[in-house]
Amino acid sequence: MSALPQTDNQTAGERAAARRLNLRDAGWLAAPAVLLLAAVLVYPLAIIVLRSFTEPEPGLQNYIWFFGSSVNMAVLQRTFVLSGWVTLASLICAYPYAYAMTVVGKNLRLILILCVLVPFWLSGVVRTLAWVILLQDSGVINSFLRGLGLSPVKLIRTQLGVVIGMTQVLLPFMILPIYSVMKGIDTRLLQAARSLGAKPWRAFLQIYVPLSLPGIYAGAIIVFILSLGFYITPALLGGPRSTMLSSLVQNQVLSLLNWGRGGAMGVVLLVATFILLAIAAPLMRQKHTQTRREK
Amino acid sequence: MKTINFGLAIMMACAVSVPALAQDKPVAGEVAEGSLKGKTLTFVSYGGIYQDGQVAALQDFVQKSGVTLLNDGPTETAKLQAQVESGNVSWDVVDTADLPPYVHCGTLFQKLDFSKLDISKIPEGQVGECSVPAMNYGVVLMYKNETYKDNPPTSWKDFFDTEKFPGVRAIDGSGDPVGGLIEQGFIAAGGDVKAMTADDIEKGIEKIRALGPDTIYWKTGAESQQLAESGEADMVMMWTGRAMTAVKNGAQYTPVWQDWLVVMDQMTIPVGVKDPDASYALINAYLGKAAQEILTEKTSYTPINLDSKPKVDDATAAFLTNTPERIKQGFQQNIPFWVKNFDLASEKWSALLSGN
Repeated sequence: MSALPQTDNQTAGERAAARRLNLRDAGWLAAPAVLLLAAVLVYPLAIIVLRSFTEPEPGLQNYIWFFGSSVNMAVLQRTFVLSGWVTLASLICAYPYAYAMTVVGKNLRLILILCVLVPFWLSGVVRTLAWVILLQDSGVINSFLRGLGLSPVKLIRTQLGVVIGMTQVLLPFMILPIYSVMKGIDTRLLQAARSLGAKPWRAFLQIYVPLSLPGIYAGAIIVFILSLGFYITPALLGGPRSTMLSSLVQNQVLSLLNWGRGGAMGVVLLVATFILLAIAAPLMRQKHTQTRREK
Repeated sequence: MKTINFGLAIMMACAVSVPALAQDKPVAGEVAEGSLKGKTLTFVSYGGIYQDGQVAALQDFVQKSGVTLLNDGPTETAKLQAQVESGNVSWDVVDTADLPPYVHCGTLFQKLDFSKLDISKIPEGQVGECSVPAMNYGVVLMYKNETYKDNPPTSWKDFFDTEKFPGVRAIDGSGDPVGGLIEQGFIAAGGDVKAMTADDIEKGIEKIRALGPDTIYWKTGAESQQLAESGEADMVMMWTGRAMTAVKNGAQYTPVWQDWLVVMDQMTIPVGVKDPDASYALINAYLGKAAQEILTEKTSYTPINLDSKPKVDDATAAFLTNTPERIKQGFQQNIPFWVKNFDLASEKWSALLSGN
């Protein structure tokens, strides 16, 4: 069969058959990725789940221990609260940035995209250590404040410091989905609203923001979920009061060799993430269809 | 040393008498020419200049024995456990922290056959059932000269006294509970450390918690060094190697040597290695006088061979912990106590480090 699709003498039925074939081909094309995921993700994950129920002996002991310990519950709650703050801070920074990317000229847009992508090329540890230099009591920010005659602020080893550091690391994951949605928004809709008498802010809030919601949802979910598992940034920029769950997992597995408890903590975090996705997914789907309809 | 570990001392004495029965008594630092030709050993340690120095110290052993030496790391007990459980142990000699060889003796680490090692030159009280020391270092209290001027702290008691000695403290929060510091906290709380029980761990930790919310728990040795070099903390609990480097880099801090906490890395052989005798040969060579001199010259850690006379500069010499004076001032944590209460102490330490 000709590889060239949809020549004039193809019937609709032939075209559909070609599409189905493509779908089956696509399945084969995905095989390497699926196999890789099964080997390096599904299999180890299954072992972690299994060990959380079987070590040191079969039963729910690890989960009873987890939910019975006030330290664990406090840290779990803190992990979610901190992730929420990071998501909010990322959104506030990312939204205007993504918008700017859609309205500037070609060259400037290239520079803006580069600025988003550059952090991907640096190791997270390097970036976090750079934040240490900026945020510490004798660091750049506080030296500057002192120079102005202002009193220094406590940034490092506080939750604020952790939120700042994590927001910077995660910002690209918020900007890119929002940008990709904003790029597709037809700005003539705004002009139409204006021509019908809407004030600029109203046109923005009632037309533009709802249309960009799918990007916000996607970005927020990615950032929130990545935040939940963060380890190195809270460890280096935070103090005891910003310890996140991953540090406790590390402690259980690496220093206590308690794979069961460490596994249980990982499973709790995973299940919490799934629940969150389950809540968010219908919301996103709904918004997507709405966008298409409005278009 | 304040606390002499009698059990270990007796065991050591027994171990020393054993080699007399063996056919050829090993001598630390020596290895038979070509004895390991065609064999491969994987040595695991913590990387960086430390492991480089260890490899340099083993160069003579590699050349004489003909062994191929591979390096791996960093040491993680969890990884070793996975190897032992799967029956496929690829680590032949492992350098570990203080306590693991005691906590997992016989399960992850082999009980050592001391007829195959010459431990006669190792400082007293440092040989365990499953380990010999890899090097010595210490944890010292470093105080900022500018803060305390003519009235500096002189002991851990002063470290815990925030009224007489106000200022920000920095503590080793890099991982496992620091038994020596908890013991010092318990002493500062008025406890008798010789009669310390499991319930007293909380008392010691409570004293650390009472240092207040400004207390910094550093996560890496580099971070502790950075805290001193930038002057962020007024009293920093530091590893001697890091303290020395900070001072060399211009940190205006002074060490308090009274009751410095004795720490050591351990050399171990995992359970299930394919060729234990080759592992023994490596460790025995590592314990030699010349090997330990090279180790100290490359890393500034204190050698564990009493005959070693490393050539180091004054700044390094000031932080070596094997002079008679330092040995007298050192504080040895109660290893059997912390081994017995390792899980409880870790639980409480982890709560402290997560702000609870």
